[in-house]
Amino acid sequence: MKKNLKKLVALGLVATTGTTLLAGCGGSDKGGSKDGKVELVMSVWDSDQEPVMKQMAEAYSKENPNVTVKTQLTTWNEYWTKLEASATGGSAPDIITMNVLHVEEYADAGILMDLTDAEKESDLKVHDNFPAPLVDGYTVEGKLYGIPKDFDTNAVFYNKEIFDQAGVAYPTDGWTFEDFRKTCEDLQAAGLPDGVYPTAINRNSGQTTYDAAVFANGGYFLNEDNTETGWDKKETIEGIQPWLDLVLDGLSPTLQQMTDTDPDSMFQGGQLAMYFSGNYMIPSYNKTLEGKYGIVKRPSFNGVDKDIINGLAFSVSANTKHPEEAKDFALWLGSKEAQEIQGKSGTVISARNDCQELFLDTHKDLNLQVFLDNVPNTELLPHCKVTAKLSQVEKTYLEQAWQGEITLEEACKSIKPEADAILDEMNAK
Amino acid sequence: MGEGKKKVRRKASRREKKDWVAGYVFIAPVTIGLLIFYVFPFIQNFWFSFNDVNKFNMATFCGISNYQRLFQEPDLMLAMKNTLLYAVVTVPIGLALSLLVASLLNSKIKGTSFYRTIYFLPSVTMSVAVALVWKLIFHGDFGILNTVLGIFGIEGQSWLTNPHTALFCVMIVAIWGSVGYNMIILLAGMQGISRSYYEAAAIDGAGPVKQFFKITIPLLSPTIFFVMITGLIGAFQVFDSIYMMVDPVTNPAFNKVKTMNVLFYQNAFMYGEKGYAAAISIFMFAVIMIITVIQLVGQKKWVNYD
Repeated sequence: MKKNLKKLVALGLVATTGTTLLAGCGGSDKGGSKDGKVELVMSVWDSDQEPVMKQMAEAYSKENPNVTVKTQLTTWNEYWTKLEASATGGSAPDIITMNVLHVEEYADAGILMDLTDAEKESDLKVHDNFPAPLVDGYTVEGKLYGIPKDFDTNAVFYNKEIFDQAGVAYPTDGWTFEDFRKTCEDLQAAGLPDGVYPTAINRNSGQTTYDAAVFANGGYFLNEDNTETGWDKKETIEGIQPWLDLVLDGLSPTLQQMTDTDPDSMFQGGQLAMYFSGNYMIPSYNKTLEGKYGIVKRPSFNGVDKDIINGLAFSVSANTKHPEEAKDFALWLGSKEAQEIQGKSGTVISARNDCQELFLDTHKDLNLQVFLDNVPNTELLPHCKVTAKLSQVEKTYLEQAWQGEITLEEACKSIKPEADAILDEMNAK
Repeated sequence: MGEGKKKVRRKASRREKKDWVAGYVFIAPVTIGLLIFYVFPFIQNFWFSFNDVNKFNMATFCGISNYQRLFQEPDLMLAMKNTLLYAVVTVPIGLALSLLVASLLNSKIKGTSFYRTIYFLPSVTMSVAVALVWKLIFHGDFGILNTVLGIFGIEGQSWLTNPHTALFCVMIVAIWGSVGYNMIILLAGMQGISRSYYEAAAIDGAGPVKQFFKITIPLLSPTIFFVMITGLIGAFQVFDSIYMMVDPVTNPAFNKVKTMNVLFYQNAFMYGEKGYAAAISIFMFAVIMIITVIQLVGQKKWVNYD
């Protein structure tokens, strides 16, 4: 009897371990209970934005009481790895926050739902209501895979205290790259405290700094049909050189210093007088520098105003259990009502044309207009399916140029054949 | 064939059968876990290595092309060299230091348990936190290391971004982190050695150093062997400390400190080429297997199990 009891306990233990193991494997059945209630899951990586996304979800539920939306926050570092794994297992979130760097790959793999027809049937009119580069960015082979959510452009953030101490006048809108360099030199000549630099131009900061100058200069990174890179073009190299010169001439920290402490933290720590950054950094900068910094338009390059635009979108998982509800919610997220809620929160600029200006009122002390003025002169962030691989090649050679080991021209000429080979491989598939 | 060795097949009694069932039930949780989390992924990985697999695990058979590509990989030699260097430096030095610390803590002095705890702390600290603290120590502008060097008039540098020093920085952290864990195992082994050997040796006039080399080392050799073999396998698989201390995106030293597992990670999770990455991991599996077999054969010469 006693022995049987022991066995029974053992069996019980085994059974519980077994079920926990198996429970871990089986995907939990999302929503869809008998009373017609549907629960959608929406993924997001930015904790600053989660509250407003919840607000949007609640507003939608008020109009559609049968649908509730749960936000799923995953930090940026794990977001794509986790999404990759859940998409592979067929259990991706119903609504996916997408960026332009990943949309093509995910659309190609059939992870995202084609929203073309749904958009046509609705009154959203993405082509009329949203900036063209964003809509193009989420259109893959003529099909729409995302409803634009927000966008970001860039400007120069300057630390007023450093300028005041150095006795240098604040920069003003309408300045040129030469003015910018002159300001850097003036600051340097005025004698900045130890560890403080006029600016920081990082090797991987193309999106906020030299990418736009390359376009302004008539150069390019990827050609129209993604078959060739433009790294060897004179216009490309000359668009980057003046930025690199700032580093080599000591007006920016060295690459090593920017690796040990990234320039964003340097600016937040009051170590940089001027820094190129996107509007999405305002909440972070406000944590340490509120009221102590100003924003000014990017300097023009060769007399041309250019900037890089990047933006997020709401995509729908192709495997969602509730395709109708998810599609309807995604389209609603592009509506004026939804984008107004987002715009008022001040975290991002709503993508919808008639909601962009709401952002201006969110931080009244800052000259936010520059972010909107830039929009007509923007190019979409250069991207393709193998961006990650291309950036590793660029990294290898540009780092050497950034450290003065080789010239920029040598670096660019070395990038060209390797990057083109990667594109060839991509196009052959 | 001797009569005694002949297998007698007879029907198992009901009682015996019940015991078998109970036995299987008892090992089931571990076996199932092992099958799901180790055996199945290993087989899948092996299969993937013969396929072109994208980010989303969609596989198309491609024969041995992943392996062909591996042997043409420009970074293969560098990654192998770094992996070997890492193993050859960290394992022996880590082992020697752990032995030293363990034998010091095995002596009869006050406060040994306090020191044991201190030395074991790195093993129970999150590796992310460890990496973060060491990154600050090696920081080029504000690092403690450079401050200390500055006192002696030596000019410091940015240790983790210099391709010549970055890997050694990671090694120092690895050695520092492994001493505590190895020490606990070696200490347990040392306490299993009878004191009478030392007493006898002392009477015969052997000093502490002679005792250490003539008694402790030979009698501890099975434990040393265990620490060495697990240490080497761990060293060949090093990834997390490098990944966390030398950032793949921003650090200019990253390309020079790649190990085999970093190469694997880069292909699997940065480029989404999981088939090729699987081939890299199978190759590493073979390398580790060969080295372990060599060790198992070699140990007959020096490990003393009596």
